[in-house]
Amino acid sequence: MKSKKKLAKAGSKKASGVKIVCRCEEVTEDEVRAVIRKGYHSLEEIKRILRTGMGHCGGRGCLKVIARLVEEETGVPIAHQKFPGSRPPLKPIPLGQLGSYENEQKER
Amino acid sequence: MSRKSADAIIIGGGIIGAAIGYYLAKRGLKVFVLERKFPCAGSTGRCIGGIRAQFTHDLTIRVMLKSIKMFQELDEELETDVEWYAGGYLFLAFDESKASSFKQAIEIQRRYGLKVDFISPDDCCQVVPGLNREGLLGGAWCPTDGQANPFKVTYGYLEGVKRFRGQVFVGAEVKKINLAGTRVVSVETVNGDEFSAPVVVNAAGPWACEIGKLVGIDIPVKPDRHEALVTEAVERCLEPMLVDYRPDGCYFVQHYGTGHFIGCYTPVPIVPGDRVDASDEFITEMPRRMVRLLPKLASVKVIRQWAGSYEMSPDGNPICGKTSVEGFYVAAGMSGHGFMFGPALGDLMAELITTGKSSIDLSEFRLDRQWTKAEAMK
Repeated sequence: MKSKKKLAKAGSKKASGVKIVCRCEEVTEDEVRAVIRKGYHSLEEIKRILRTGMGHCGGRGCLKVIARLVEEETGVPIAHQKFPGSRPPLKPIPLGQLGSYENEQKER
Repeated sequence: MSRKSADAIIIGGGIIGAAIGYYLAKRGLKVFVLERKFPCAGSTGRCIGGIRAQFTHDLTIRVMLKSIKMFQELDEELETDVEWYAGGYLFLAFDESKASSFKQAIEIQRRYGLKVDFISPDDCCQVVPGLNREGLLGGAWCPTDGQANPFKVTYGYLEGVKRFRGQVFVGAEVKKINLAGTRVVSVETVNGDEFSAPVVVNAAGPWACEIGKLVGIDIPVKPDRHEALVTEAVERCLEPMLVDYRPDGCYFVQHYGTGHFIGCYTPVPIVPGDRVDASDEFITEMPRRMVRLLPKLASVKVIRQWAGSYEMSPDGNPICGKTSVEGFYVAAGMSGHGFMFGPALGDLMAELITTGKSSIDLSEFRLDRQWTKAEAMK
């Protein structure tokens, strides 16, 4: 359920043929490169500026691609870059479903 | 290893450090901001972005009225969209004692010109369509409160520091602060770099106490853990920040720019320490509380949970100002409100540092105060 504004934004990017590296937050390769060139060289900083990794997939779709862009721009190999920790839940879950779940921890 | 000198060194790249750094740099000082990890790695980047003037401490209300005015103009100031939106704050009362404490607070707030009312359950449901009014006695409603994006604001301030010829150092953890007699002269980091300046500001948030120890000053700031979650983006259906102060209550808002719901609660009893791992208890309990308050959210999906620290002072009010070490200032103990205080305290601290006094007198927030005037709307 995306807002109309977001859908329009996504549509316009697709139409112009730009490369989207983060599908959840609709962030383009050019936007990522621009932020790296501004001096933000860590995945953690890029995440906080562009929201890459803050969407539905939690960064599984985009972080490696972005790490490669960081490597290309800065020369720091992917293996030497620190990846943001993954945060639960792994899949989006409705509030109503989570709220009706009996917490086993509390019983202990 | 390097040696560099500036007019002022800020320890901490959260909202407080970034804002003080910006307003000092804007006043012509050469500023270095030293951040242990990366900007917003601490409390600021983990907060939910609420901004309100509904407090009970006179000075806090005055600071927040200034801050809200600054948020309204922050896009132009920082040359970026900080996503400020005046959606208001609605504090719900489910028992007589809360209702009367809100009414007392409103009397204080109105003295400073805040547009705030205690409204009926019917009016609460007008403000928040779909609100579960079971047991509701009314609410404290202020339409001029709002929200903004903590990342946009903090990175915006730090970009501004750079525009005014300052520098931001990431991965710069401070391990030593050097004094000459009773005056601060320089700061050393774990990387072996030394930065000298006649002014050093401790804006280390939950770790302000540790930084204070480096100059032998006791700064009574203790972190406690607050968890938060965010949902997918959906069509706009909630204007204000909704605050439910019951022991099993919660507070949440719909992010104006994107449509995500973002919220948290204060655990009873509090969880001391700066741990930021996520718990199973929160991810089941918080949704229950949210859906109880606003049943229409049941189908909205949670996409992420995390935790952050409230950096509590003994009375829940900020600790701001000079210290017994000449040139060493503190701005910490924001007690869960650092993001919203940021613009005003940044400007006032910069004024205090450069001129010796600030246009709103912050002495009630000084480090050597008695901790007796506790904030009731924490």
